[in-house]
Amino acid sequence: MTLQEIVEAIGFSVLSHGEADKQVRWAYLSDILSDVMAKAPKSALWITHQLHENIVALAYFKGLSGIILPEGNLPDTETLQKARAKRIAVLSTSETAFDVAGRLYLLGLRGRP
Amino acid sequence: MRELSLNILDIVMNSIEAGATRVITAIVESPSRNLLQIAVRDNGRGMSDELARSVLDPFVTTRTTRAVGMGLPLFRQTALLAGGDLRIDSQIGKGTTVIAFMQLHNLNRPPLGNIVDTMMNLMTASPNVHFFYAHLTDGGRFCFDSFRLFSIMAEHDCSIYEAADRARQNFENGLRRIGARLF
Repeated sequence: MTLQEIVEAIGFSVLSHGEADKQVRWAYLSDILSDVMAKAPKSALWITHQLHENIVALAYFKGLSGIILPEGNLPDTETLQKARAKRIAVLSTSETAFDVAGRLYLLGLRGRP
Repeated sequence: MRELSLNILDIVMNSIEAGATRVITAIVESPSRNLLQIAVRDNGRGMSDELARSVLDPFVTTRTTRAVGMGLPLFRQTALLAGGDLRIDSQIGKGTTVIAFMQLHNLNRPPLGNIVDTMMNLMTASPNVHFFYAHLTDGGRFCFDSFRLFSIMAEHDCSIYEAADRARQNFENGLRRIGARLF
């Protein structure tokens, strides 16, 4: 699926658009940044509770397609500015991380190649 | 805890609980040594070796056998994840020192967060405690203590809250001057 299709299917609020036509097949869930650095598949959607701008730096560096913030979390202002500048999608939802992962799984996304 | 200043707040609150009249918070932020060190030293009632060990054990029943919660085990976990550790040095009747250190450039090091507001809130909430704050970087040193608030109160004939508002800018500028970049 493309990022755009996922965003439309899942209905979370879009804080930063990212690259709409990017193909997304993987997702990753972790709050430990070194884990994400080591293990997140390229172009994955990343579910995290972290909010500071390191998450955008990491997503950009790893070529992730976007970041999903569960529990109604909102990113710091700088984080969002950087995400928009680097074309990293940022989505926010009141759902828990577990439910977000389940929703992505039902859309056909998987944890690793 | 998403920001280190929340951990600092938690530890300093422990110091106040322990009857401290003087609390020193010292932060060393050194890119050249890849070090971030946070030390909180108080002159409170101190702890026995056994208690000092137990406050790092998350399985010791919180709130019933001791007045501290999960703050220290969680802070230690943060430090370990960021390539460091946390140590407690305490003597009955003398006081307690908590030192957390970690790699400044480690991906898992949380941001410091709003240390200015944290210190100001502590100083205004407990005016009878003498707080001393020191921040060292490769570029210099910045210090701030409660007495500065009192002299602002005297100079402007204002409340401690207004004094804190006046001091905030000075605090932030001081941190900027030494190149602290952990906001």
